[in-house]
Amino acid sequence: MNTMEIAKIKRVVKDTQRIKTFILDIDVSAIPGQFVMVWLPDVDEKPMSVSYTSGDMGITILELGDFTRRLCELKVGGKIGIRGPMGRGFKVYGDRLLLVGGGVGMAPLAPLAEDAIKEGKEVTAIVGAITAKELLFVERLKKAGVRVFVSTDDGTAGYKGFTTDVLQELLQKETFDQCFTCGPEIMMFKVLNIAEDKEIPTQASLHRYFKCGIGICGHCVLDGTGLRVCKEGPTFRDKELRKSHEFGYYWRNAAGQKIYFGVKK
Amino acid sequence: MEVEVAGIKLKNPTILASGILGTTGASLRRVAMAGAGAVVSKSAGSEARVGHRNPTVIEVPQGLLNAVGLSNCGIDEMAGELEIAKEAGVPVIASVYGFSIDDYVKSAGALNSYADAIELNLSCPNVERAGQFFGKSPELAFEAVREVKRKVKVPVFAKLTAEAGDIAEIAKACEEAKADAIVAINTIKAMSINIDARRPVLGNKVGGLSGKCIKSIAVRCVYEIASEVSIPVIGCGGILTGEDALEFIMAGAEAVQIGTGVLLRGISVFRKVSLEMKEFMEERELKLEDIRGVALR
Ligand SMILES: Cc1cc2nc3c(=O)[nH]c(=O)nc-3n(C[C@H](O)[C@H](O)[C@H](O)COP(=O)(O)OP(=O)(O)OC[C@H]3O[C@@H](n4cnc5c(N)ncnc54)[C@H](O)[C@@H]3O)c2cc1C
Ligand SMILES: Cc1cc2nc3c(=O)[nH]c(=O)nc-3n(C[C@H](O)[C@H](O)[C@H](O)COP(=O)(O)O)c2cc1C
Ligand code: FES
Repeated sequence: MNTMEIAKIKRVVKDTQRIKTFILDIDVSAIPGQFVMVWLPDVDEKPMSVSYTSGDMGITILELGDFTRRLCELKVGGKIGIRGPMGRGFKVYGDRLLLVGGGVGMAPLAPLAEDAIKEGKEVTAIVGAITAKELLFVERLKKAGVRVFVSTDDGTAGYKGFTTDVLQELLQKETFDQCFTCGPEIMMFKVLNIAEDKEIPTQASLHRYFKCGIGICGHCVLDGTGLRVCKEGPTFRDKELRKSHEFGYYWRNAAGQKIYFGVKK
Repeated sequence: MEVEVAGIKLKNPTILASGILGTTGASLRRVAMAGAGAVVSKSAGSEARVGHRNPTVIEVPQGLLNAVGLSNCGIDEMAGELEIAKEAGVPVIASVYGFSIDDYVKSAGALNSYADAIELNLSCPNVERAGQFFGKSPELAFEAVREVKRKVKVPVFAKLTAEAGDIAEIAKACEEAKADAIVAINTIKAMSINIDARRPVLGNKVGGLSGKCIKSIAVRCVYEIASEVSIPVIGCGGILTGEDALEFIMAGAEAVQIGTGVLLRGISVFRKVSLEMKEFMEERELKLEDIRGVALR
C-alpha cells in the first residue's frame, strides 16, 4: 500500500533564482525518473521527480504557481507529505549516454548521470535554460564527471539558442548508445526526431496532469496508446511515444480538456 | 460466459466501473481490449469541471478513498471520446451526472447516440447537489429516470448509493420510472486523517470509500434490490476475484462492475475475474443461470 509519509526538510538549496532543492529526512530508494506525490496539507498535492535518489531523498522545485510558491516558502524543519516512489524510472543499458535537459527537466536526469558515472559509464549532458542564472545542476554534473554542454536562449552562457541546436551539432561528430531527455515537450519532441535520425534509442520523461498518481483515475492517459503516464511512465521509450499522436501536440488540463502546445494539427 | 443485460450482449459479465480509467476514449479502449465485457465512461456533465484539489485518491486499508469531484471534459468532448472507446468492439456505457433533472436530461440526450446505454449517476458522494442528492430521494430518482427515459432511446441504468435510507425503495422507484437496470453501489462517504499532519488527507476532506472494505455492504444492497425489483441488477463494490463476483451473482446480479480491483490486480482484472468465475462453475458443472439469485430463494 502506498501510504502518505510525513517528511521533515533537512536542507534547502537555492539552485537558481526560481529553483530550490529540498533534501528530506526520508530515503525512498527511487530509481532516477521515478516521482513522488508531494502533499502540502490544506493546499494541494502534485507530482515531483526525485532529484536525489540515494540516501536522503531530494526534490527540486521550479516556482510557478500557487502550489510551488507555497512549497518554496518552506524552511528547514518544515514538513511535507510524500507518497511514493511511483511510476517507472529510466532504463540504462548502454555505456555512452547522452542527456538533454531543459530547465527543471534536469531534476530526474542528474541522479541518472551520477549513478551511471559510478557504474563506469561515459556521460555527456546538454543543459539548457532561458538564461545563465536559471541553468540547473551544471556544477553538480561536472563534479560527478559528466561532460557538460550548455545552451541559453539569451546567450548569457554557452551556446546562444536551444539544446536541440547543440544536440544536432554534437551528433554530426559523435554517437551514443542511449539518449535521455526531460524538459518542455516541444523540446523533447525535437530531441526524439534528431536522435531517431541517428538511430539513437531515446527515453523521455513526460509531464501530464496527475490526479491519483497510482494508475486508477485515467486522467494522465496518452491518446493512441492508452498508456498511463503515472504508471507505465513517466519515462517512455521513443517507440512507445511514436504510437501516441498526442505526444508533442497536446495535453489535458484538470478537467480533461485537450490543450494544444502550439497550433492544432 | 456471455450474458445479456437489458438487451445488451456482453462477452463476459465484468464491466469497468465509472470513474476508473474512464476519462478518455483511449483509456476505455485499452481496458476493453484487455478483456472487460463492457466499459463505463467517467461521469460527464453539461459543462467541463476541474473537480476537487489533490489529494483526490488515496489508498486506505483494503480500499481507496476518493474525492475526484466529478472532474470531466464535458459532454461535447466526451462524445468524441466515446467514439474512440467503441473501436474496441465492446459495449460502451456513458455515465452522466447533473445538478438538476434538466441537466441529467441534457447530458443523457447529448451522449445517447454515442453509447450503448446511459448510466445515471444518482449516487456520487463528493459533489453537493449532484449525484447522491438525487439517489437518496425516491421522488427525485423517479423523476430523473422518467425524464431521461423520455429523451433517450438506449437502455438507461440507474446507479444507486448505499447511503439511501432504503436502497430497495429507490430501486423500485427507478423501476416504476422504466429504468432498464439498476447498478449498485457507488462509494460510501468516509474520511482519513493523517495523524502527523493532523489534517484530513483528501483535498475535499470527505470522500467516497471503495474496494474490498465495502464488498459486504454492496452484496447486501444487491440482495435487497434483487428481492424487490424484476429489472436486472448490476453489482458493484469491492470485487477483486471471481469468488467475489459470484457472491454478487448469487445475490441476484446479472453482471458486475469492477473499479478499485484494477489497482491490485491490474487492467487484466476483468479477464482474471471472468476466468475465475468460469473455473468455479466448470468444476461444479454449473451455469450462471443455475446460481443467479440462489441466495434469495
Ligand atoms: C512526473 C512529473 C514530474 C514532475 N517533476 C517536477 C520537478 O521535479 N520539479 C518541478 O518543479 N515540477 C515538476 N513537475 C511539475 C509539477 O508537478 C507541477 O505541475 C508544477 O510545479 C506546477 O506548479 P504549480 O501548481 O505551482 O503551478 P500552476 O500555475 O498551478 O500550474 C502550472 C502548470 O503546471 C501543470 N500542473 C498543475 N497541476 C498539476 C498536477 N497536479 N499534475 C501535473 N501537472 C500539473 C499544468 O500544466 C499547469 O498549467 C512534474 C510533473 C510530473 C507529471
Ligand atoms: C477514483 C474513483 C472515481 C470514481 N468516479 C465515479 C464517477 O465519476 N461516477 C460514478 O458513478 N462512480 C464513480 N466511482 C465509483 C465506482 O464506479 C464504484 O461504484 C465504486 O468504486 C465501488 O466499486 P469498486 O469497489 O469496485 O471500486 C469512482 C470510484 C473511484 C475509486
Ligand atoms: S493520474 Fe490517475 S491514472 Fe495517472
